[in-house]
Amino acid sequence: MKLSQTLGKSLWAFLFNSGSCNGCEIETVATVTPRYDLERFGIKVVGSPRHADILLISGPVTRKMAPRLRRVYEQMPDPKIVLCIGACGTSGGAFYDSYTLVGPVDQVVPVDMYVPGCPPRPEAIIDGVVKILARLEAAEKSA
Amino acid sequence: MKLLTPQEIADTLQAAAGAGFISARCTEWAEGAKGRKSRQVWLHITREALLPTLRRLADIHYPHVSVIAHADTGAQVDLMYHFYIYWGIPREEILVTLTISLDKSDLRTPTITGIIPGALTSEREKQEMLGIEVVDIPDGRRLFLPEDFPEGVYPWRKDETGIPPDMVKELWATGRDSLQLDDTPPAPTPEPPTA
Amino acid sequence: MKTIEVKKPSGYFTQIGPAHPALKEPVMFNLDVEGERIIKADFAPGMSHRGIEWMGLRRNCIQVIYLAERICGICGITHSISFVRAVEQIAQIQVPVRAHYIRSIVGELERIHSHLLWAGVAAHELGFDSAFYLAWRVRENVMDLVEYLTGNRVHYAMIQIGGVRRDITREQFPRIEESMKFFDNAYDQLARVFLDDTTVQMRCRDCGVLTYEEARQLCPVGPTARASGIKKDVRVDHPYAGYADLDIEYMTPDRLTGEVRGDVYDRIVVRLLEVKQSIALVRQLLEQMPDGPLLAIPKPAVLLAKLKGAAGEAVGRHEAPRGEVMHYVRLEAGKDEPVSWKVKASSYSNYLSWIPMMEGEQIADIPIIAASIDPCISCTDRVALVQDGNRRVLTKAELHRLSVEKTRRIQASLSAR
Repeated sequence: MKLSQTLGKSLWAFLFNSGSCNGCEIETVATVTPRYDLERFGIKVVGSPRHADILLISGPVTRKMAPRLRRVYEQMPDPKIVLCIGACGTSGGAFYDSYTLVGPVDQVVPVDMYVPGCPPRPEAIIDGVVKILARLEAAEKSA
Repeated sequence: MKLLTPQEIADTLQAAAGAGFISARCTEWAEGAKGRKSRQVWLHITREALLPTLRRLADIHYPHVSVIAHADTGAQVDLMYHFYIYWGIPREEILVTLTISLDKSDLRTPTITGIIPGALTSEREKQEMLGIEVVDIPDGRRLFLPEDFPEGVYPWRKDETGIPPDMVKELWATGRDSLQLDDTPPAPTPEPPTA
Repeated sequence: MKTIEVKKPSGYFTQIGPAHPALKEPVMFNLDVEGERIIKADFAPGMSHRGIEWMGLRRNCIQVIYLAERICGICGITHSISFVRAVEQIAQIQVPVRAHYIRSIVGELERIHSHLLWAGVAAHELGFDSAFYLAWRVRENVMDLVEYLTGNRVHYAMIQIGGVRRDITREQFPRIEESMKFFDNAYDQLARVFLDDTTVQMRCRDCGVLTYEEARQLCPVGPTARASGIKKDVRVDHPYAGYADLDIEYMTPDRLTGEVRGDVYDRIVVRLLEVKQSIALVRQLLEQMPDGPLLAIPKPAVLLAKLKGAAGEAVGRHEAPRGEVMHYVRLEAGKDEPVSWKVKASSYSNYLSWIPMMEGEQIADIPIIAASIDPCISCTDRVALVQDGNRRVLTKAELHRLSVEKTRRIQASLSAR
């Protein structure tokens, strides 16, 4: 898979847990383990949003985490890709009515790709990442 | 150590509660093919009898405090203090629940952290979630709710101090076109080219 | 209400997450330090507060099972078992014995996967990334098995009030035995990596100690308590589900090392012993499982009608991989929804033990100490320090780096000998 000119040869991802049950977090971390191996696409998981190109958000956004999520999003340099992992972030999932949740992720930051599932399998997460990269590449080519 | 039966425990604690005793019952529940039973003792006492009864229970066996459960029954708030004794002895553990009912006009309860320090987390949670004042609590700060959560709103109460409907968000009803933050930058990836 | 003055960290709440976030919900730690040593510790959870108990009071009892399941993504079955046991006690619904055994089998498989997950996390915190990958690769075997039996890797949806929803048939037994054999071998490998390594011993021995007396008073549960010598295990103390028919033993560190010190190393020992115990329990349960129905009341509509008439209160518990999980439920006749629901996750009880464990320790040891209680509400994504009066914020990445550097220093000094 050829990645775009702007984004270079490999992308760095940052994981953000906005108050989830951790199922999506664990499945996302499982993608870097040898069975699923996200790193064969050149994608590395890093510890700081300032170094990251891809933001993987899991969880419905709790009130305490919403300002942090905004800040992380702003700290990431452009161009960036935002993926929302799991049903909670997409539409609330099991927590569809709550007094302490600010809403699905796209109420806080703009989202490029939703990966549905509760939790989505690691293959689904990799599929989501690869699809958005391919779309980016196509967009760059046509621009 | 001689193990007391649930009924003996109930009688001992009834004596310790003295005038503060309201009622007691013992239950048991069996699971599995061999029908081995687990046993529970439920006591209903007044707030004043809580500490003496707990001290007597601690003399029987140092309890493991599990959690302080709650129920809002309209005019009162019930607090259920769940303790387990005889832990460490296979199949002999007994749940002892001390239930106290607090009138909503006087929501105060003494702290039990003097006897069992591990109850602190539960007491802090009751304070913020139910609006109860735990007298002499060593650390009374908020635990789980965010700092900017409004004062006077207690999530577990079912009366006017509970969550008002305007605080509840229906996450599934937000719709995709409703993002209207003025300072939000536009999405980085454009729509796929129609080819 | 007495309040304690907390020095609020100034400025900017940077949410910098961990590189490998098997460390779930962030918890803020406030530490007073002198040099490298922690004098006072304090923590503030609550970042994942979703209002689940409040939401549960607006749904009927069967819907609450699925909500309860999503309290935690690692302990998949524990919250649903605890809730369902409480409801069954109130409504006096007797669960068929086969269903009890299936519940226990899935519970033990979940324990294996959770402890392997934790082993990987602990290895990562110490700086042994290859051990992390090894543990998680082994864990994939359990995930495959669980998917084969229940249909999903996480959130199995196996439990229904009155029984279980899916069967474990005789045709599936050989596949389970195959996995158990794999785990017998894997256990030996993991034990060598974690317990025999000198660096691990130097890092973890006498680090993050929780004494027997502190543990008795702070009431932690699970491996955290057992590593300090406190014998608390819901499967042993309290007969329930398939465990009621077995004779299970408390796993304390003296079974392997001969002594109890209550440090991080002992917690590693307890968890690895429990993996071994779980493999044996699964085999016993499969052997003894009787035939029979799976559900006491197969039709959900009939079940809901029965629950609507049920009234009373009860407590349901389960031994999760992290310790005791307890649900208190109160039902009233004429209502679909529970009138009161209190959830106690195991980490709720374990929180307070962080404080005596951390005081007196070094900053570089924070990651491994925090991870050693296996918090399901976890780890320091950000730690605020007050150092000689100046407030400093240490990110998770910096803490992790300090921890790894300490390991490398120890390894270098060992090889120089």
